[in-house]
Amino acid sequence: MNLRFAGLLLALVALVAPAAQAAPVDTGHLKAELIAQTQAIAPGQTIQVALRQEIDKGWHTYWRNPGDSGEATKIAWTLPAGWSAGDFVWQPPEPQPAGPLVNYGYSGEVILPMTLTAPANAPVGQTVTLKAAAAFLVCEEICIPEDALLELTLTVQAQAAQPSGRWAAPIARALEAAPRKADLTATFENNDQGLRLAVTGAPLTDADLAGSYFFPFDGAVIDHAAPQAIERGPQGLTLGLTPSYAFQGPEPPQVMAGVLKAGDAYYEIEAQAGPLSPEASGLGPPAARSGGLSAAGLGLPLALAFAVLGGLILNLMPCVFPILAMKAASLAGHAHEAQGARRQGLAFLAGVLVTFLALAGALIAAQAAGAAVGWGFQLQSPPVVAALCLLMLAVALNLSGVFEIGTSLQGVGSGLASRGGLAGAFFTGVLAVVVAAPCTAPFMAPALGWALTQPAAAALLVFAALGIGFAAPFVAVAFAPGLLAKLPRPGPWMDHLRKVLAFPMYGAAAWLLWVLTLQAGPMGQARLLAAAIVLALAAWLYGLSQGRSQALALRGGAAVLGALAVLSALIPAYQSAAIAGPEASGAVAELPYEPYSAQRLAELRAQGTPVFVNFTAAWCVTCQVNEQVALAREGVAEALAETGAVYLKGDWTRKDEVIAAELARHGRAGVPLYLVYDRAGAEPVILPQILTEGLVVRALEAAAG
Amino acid sequence: MTTPSFPRRPILAGIAALAALVAAPALAAPAIGKPAPAFSAVDSNGKTRTLAEFRGKTVVLEWTNEGCPYVQKHYNGGAMQSLQKRAAGDGVVWLSVISSAPGKQGYKTAAQANAWKTASGAAPSAILLDPKGDVGRAYGAKTTPHMYVVNPAGTLVYMGGIDDKNSADPASLKGATNFVVAALDDLKAGRAVARPVSAPYGCSVKY
Repeated sequence: MNLRFAGLLLALVALVAPAAQAAPVDTGHLKAELIAQTQAIAPGQTIQVALRQEIDKGWHTYWRNPGDSGEATKIAWTLPAGWSAGDFVWQPPEPQPAGPLVNYGYSGEVILPMTLTAPANAPVGQTVTLKAAAAFLVCEEICIPEDALLELTLTVQAQAAQPSGRWAAPIARALEAAPRKADLTATFENNDQGLRLAVTGAPLTDADLAGSYFFPFDGAVIDHAAPQAIERGPQGLTLGLTPSYAFQGPEPPQVMAGVLKAGDAYYEIEAQAGPLSPEASGLGPPAARSGGLSAAGLGLPLALAFAVLGGLILNLMPCVFPILAMKAASLAGHAHEAQGARRQGLAFLAGVLVTFLALAGALIAAQAAGAAVGWGFQLQSPPVVAALCLLMLAVALNLSGVFEIGTSLQGVGSGLASRGGLAGAFFTGVLAVVVAAPCTAPFMAPALGWALTQPAAAALLVFAALGIGFAAPFVAVAFAPGLLAKLPRPGPWMDHLRKVLAFPMYGAAAWLLWVLTLQAGPMGQARLLAAAIVLALAAWLYGLSQGRSQALALRGGAAVLGALAVLSALIPAYQSAAIAGPEASGAVAELPYEPYSAQRLAELRAQGTPVFVNFTAAWCVTCQVNEQVALAREGVAEALAETGAVYLKGDWTRKDEVIAAELARHGRAGVPLYLVYDRAGAEPVILPQILTEGLVVRALEAAAG
Repeated sequence: MTTPSFPRRPILAGIAALAALVAAPALAAPAIGKPAPAFSAVDSNGKTRTLAEFRGKTVVLEWTNEGCPYVQKHYNGGAMQSLQKRAAGDGVVWLSVISSAPGKQGYKTAAQANAWKTASGAAPSAILLDPKGDVGRAYGAKTTPHMYVVNPAGTLVYMGGIDDKNSADPASLKGATNFVVAALDDLKAGRAVARPVSAPYGCSVKY
């Protein structure tokens, strides 16, 4: 009874007594305090406590090996007899560059846990105040040693204390985040190939090793500022390090202990001098990670949002705009026919969606079959390019008034709500998507890149979202009578507009001809030009027939010639152009570049040379525009020369498995993709899809340091 | 074709973050047992000094920054000054090098350097002004203090910390093993330097 009463009393005391307590001390550039995972401690119990630092913005404190300068945080406890405290459980450090130096330390909030053990004879029921002196070197540009006398008050209770209170979870997280020992084997060798550290073991097999880094415990073994080259192997990785002081002494180190950052995981390793495991190398550097906007980590909602936005932007592309502008204008005269307009809008939407989904289905099927394809893949096939070219020409001739489709423009109103009108709207949607394919709009790329790494259902959803975004402006016009009313009344201006808009379409046709020339050479070009002329003749004959009642012969001739043109453009297969690959995308400037190859890139990264990689294709409008407005500028050439960066160009005009794989690695399904690798040779920054001269120059300068 | 480029800003932030991560080219690493890197620098009296002119003498190079707490640990109690005097007594040339860039901590004009020398009672043979950091980079000087010892033949025989106590606390001077003293003693006795390298400690050189 007595005991139980005493227990109750103790519990009450525990409730009333101040719980584990610590007053933060502001030392000038950081706030320090002692925190505990429990509110109390039992005799003989070991609990987790921690030194918590809240470091001012821009200032740092240091890891156990501070790197090139600085000093590790220290703590000295003043404990009553029998009490003991363990060493810090160091958190993974951040590399902190300072001019040509690199330090290892912390910024913001850092929690350094350690154990605290009470003696078996600790006085139950009392509160104890434990004192510790913490010493920090806090550096921004300059360094200031700061001290704090800290206290931690705990209640001694009979039962083992359980984690509770505000700091229980943060300390648990810090313990969880600390580098852990794992089943890893590490050896190092220092010879004429430099200092290499090889680590193998199950945790590294199939792990993402991008950004791997070795933080040595000893500040004298490696040059902290030197980039660490990463090479993957079947069962681990090898890091290329730069030996430091210790290796110059009479007794070079036989052991190198430290923390290995492998991808996002941190392991404590102890490497012995000895031969390197062959399983730790041979697979080249790891896939880089993106520093910018990319598919990595893009969830479905964000991918859908990007897809809608990308679809909207597609409307402005030069090959799409004329078609949609004409279609929208044709609605104008019939603002009063609201119902008909709405139907047309829906038919257009259906056409867009069906085509996008069909393309997505084809793409997914091709991927499933193992083909390395991506968005715009259709345009890697010369017959498709030839067909599109003829289609653009046909549309252009139509806009020029050489012939009409279905009813004439003047009569289009009567058929607005008719079946023909609906089918027309549907096929306008189909046509718009087909011609839009070369134009990968910004936002579309991350969304599509993400989609193509997802299960089919998610991928189709993203493509559907793209279609909705693409169709949205037209559907909005069709559905909003207010907007329709704002469009000018039909009149001669419509005919002028139509004829003007024919010219971007001629341009698109010419551009596709150029693409085909690059793909299939001058013979292919001659063939397509001949086909184009025959098609134009067919179109003219057809147009001629439209004005007459008895025109079977004309129509027949037009049909035969048209079929001839199309067939001759498609069959037989085109021969591959003999010209070298990198020439294919038509270097617009004298900007010196080397053709992209994975080996060359790995070589340059290992040398610490900054690299600018441009994945492009002749059929990619955005790529061509970027070449002209950004890459061909003098500033870029100067920046390349100044920074010593090497410009690698990967041409995807024709099918290329290597490039497709590289695009996929960066979460992309199509071009353009611009990567900038820094001197450290690690993870590249992905530049936006729309480049400016300044943007490229800044990225290059940043990469050169 | 001018499409909005809404994602540019986050990407620029990414580039900036990357820039912050990219270290400038690594410092050259001079080697023990090899000729010490040659240099030419103007001292606080306007005289151009070179390593070659001290051939035949032992040379100590000391990277310094008056504002650095680790340098202050060695100067405030007179430890560095007495080391300099002792070296001078043995005919050793002592060069204090200031590699702080203008505007950064520790930077000094010639007049300021001389005033500091007088005020602190420092006794180096010369104070080299290296505002561009050329000498510092040639030696791979990382910290203040960072110490180098060159033998009379011009060979680098010691580089690293001044002692084995990485601390700005003056109390840490007591019981510290001074590696420069040890190296100079080894040279004086005609021995090979027993401990030719150590990890330097202190503030970063403010290049």
